[in-house]
Amino acid sequence: MTLPFLIIIPLFGAFSMPIVSLLGKKIKEYWAVIVSGATLAVSAKIFYTVWKTNEIILYTLGSDSPIGKGVKFPIRIVWEVDLFGALLALTIAFVGFLAVIYSLGYMKHDTGLEKYYTLILILELGMLGIVITGDIFNFYVFLEIMSIASYALVAFRNDTWEGIEAGIKYMFVGSLASSFILLGIALLYGQYGTLTMSYLAIKIAENPTLVAKIALAFFIGGLLFKSGAVPVHMWLADAHPAAPSSISAMLSGLVIKAGGVYAVARIVFGIFNPGLHAYLRAFNAPAVNMDVIGWVIVFFACLTLLVGNAMAVVQTDMKRLFAFSSVGQIGYILLGIGIGTLAYGTKAGELALAGAIYHIVNHALIKALLFLVAGAVIHQVGTKNLNELSGLAKKMPLTTFSFVIGAAAIIGLPPLNGFASKWIIYESSAMYNPVLAAIAVVGTVFSLAAYTRVLFTFLGRESDMIKEAKEPEKSMIIPMLILVAVIIVMGLLPWQISDKIMVPTARMLEQLNGEYIMALLKFIGGA
Amino acid sequence: MFGYWDALYFLYAFLIGLIISYLLMKWAEKVSMGTRRTGDGTKIYISGEDQDKVIPHFEHLSGYFTGRHVMWGLIRGVHRMFLVFRREHTGLLTDYVAYLLITIAIVLGALVIGG
Repeated sequence: MTLPFLIIIPLFGAFSMPIVSLLGKKIKEYWAVIVSGATLAVSAKIFYTVWKTNEIILYTLGSDSPIGKGVKFPIRIVWEVDLFGALLALTIAFVGFLAVIYSLGYMKHDTGLEKYYTLILILELGMLGIVITGDIFNFYVFLEIMSIASYALVAFRNDTWEGIEAGIKYMFVGSLASSFILLGIALLYGQYGTLTMSYLAIKIAENPTLVAKIALAFFIGGLLFKSGAVPVHMWLADAHPAAPSSISAMLSGLVIKAGGVYAVARIVFGIFNPGLHAYLRAFNAPAVNMDVIGWVIVFFACLTLLVGNAMAVVQTDMKRLFAFSSVGQIGYILLGIGIGTLAYGTKAGELALAGAIYHIVNHALIKALLFLVAGAVIHQVGTKNLNELSGLAKKMPLTTFSFVIGAAAIIGLPPLNGFASKWIIYESSAMYNPVLAAIAVVGTVFSLAAYTRVLFTFLGRESDMIKEAKEPEKSMIIPMLILVAVIIVMGLLPWQISDKIMVPTARMLEQLNGEYIMALLKFIGGA
Repeated sequence: MFGYWDALYFLYAFLIGLIISYLLMKWAEKVSMGTRRTGDGTKIYISGEDQDKVIPHFEHLSGYFTGRHVMWGLIRGVHRMFLVFRREHTGLLTDYVAYLLITIAIVLGALVIGG
């Protein structure tokens, strides 16, 4: 059973870092690379196993039996990995690994690197935990591990006021959002007496009370904040640009996915399954009206994709532009999840969900690339102000090339990976409601305008600031080029990836036959 | 499912739309069809300059162009929207908390009433 190693390896890596760092500067850097590389290998193995067998992996920490020994409840944690969780774990480990390699060059002049590498591994660990857990309280624990590591990493460069200010704001409001999520968990536990997600799904379907609806509202509200959806996106525009770029790549590429949209999808489809409740409603039995939550998600999605992309257009700070663009892209993912909820059980619903999952992966890769490019520019030129970066293409051709690929992919230009996922989201939106598709396309027009501006800056007349600029060192270039290659290759095989990976993932998440719930029951029975 | 390269259609439609709009504006100005730049704060009417035909519920809108092709006023409006966006500030902690609470209240309200 390789699943526990997905947590054990980064956990061990993180806590052994202070001791390893005593052996020398280089050793701790290599240690971080080895640990994140091993995590990537384990996640690849888990993904391959789930994908090949099309079966959910179950693992229990603690008691095997669903019946408590001496107490009424079993003392244990259930980890449940379906294709969605495994795919996210692979993406997290891959981007995390590249971010660590990139840090070798990027963080060279910084001090306190043992803390940095410890935190980056803890951040990775938190995200991996979120995507593999089947226990709602365990989910909260990992969410907090991830969040606390993010707060610290945003404020890592504590010699600048931006980092400190953004970190404190992010921490205060993030903790409040987390409290709402914890309150939701407490309400569900108080009402149903279990924390296992699959078992909660059954209990809620049996007796959907007002408390369950209030808990769902707290989850969605808190997780919208964690996703960076409008109008609770402000922390993101401050925090992501203030962090070191390798961390921005992880925050924008992964944290808002694992702790945000992934969790929304998991709670909506795993705990409050729309199919189950639609079935109950068909027989006039009490049920949660999941159409309402679908429309709530779609409402925030439309707001997010319009405002996020439009705000990106007017930015002069490159990293802030990318951060707002992340807000916009989260809008597309939420739109896919919303339509997936509303059109549950239909072709449009399945496509929307597949598009959302596809875009989660694509955006993670693309935004990681763009932030790494921004990091390379800051590292070599010392500014991220677009007005001072004119003419960068001649001095840093590889970096500019990476940016062009990233920008074209995020706009959704064929033949790059962003096109396929956006296209599926447009198509499913058009099938469900053409107005939503029109809103999505308007968002992309804003996105196009924002990135075209940066491109023109890079290709413009050479400014004084960049006279001495040159390409960064290899450890920074290689991760960017790997991401470029992955974006291009994924772009050349869009429908193969969609049909072979994304659609099966969406089906498993939708659990038309209650796969997620049944996996648990088959394995052990109760709570 | 649409074909892969069909996406180029989007690009064509967008570019052609852009070119047509620009030519239309230049032409309207040149032939004196009534479209002219009058500066910021021009009121927008539903057609021409008939003051009785103010767009219902949009009386407060003001534009940059006037004349028959009042759409240009709306384009100016979009431009102003971006100017407002540009003035965004990083915000206070209390604002952040307020937005979070409002969002949760919206979701809660929707779920309790309709859910």
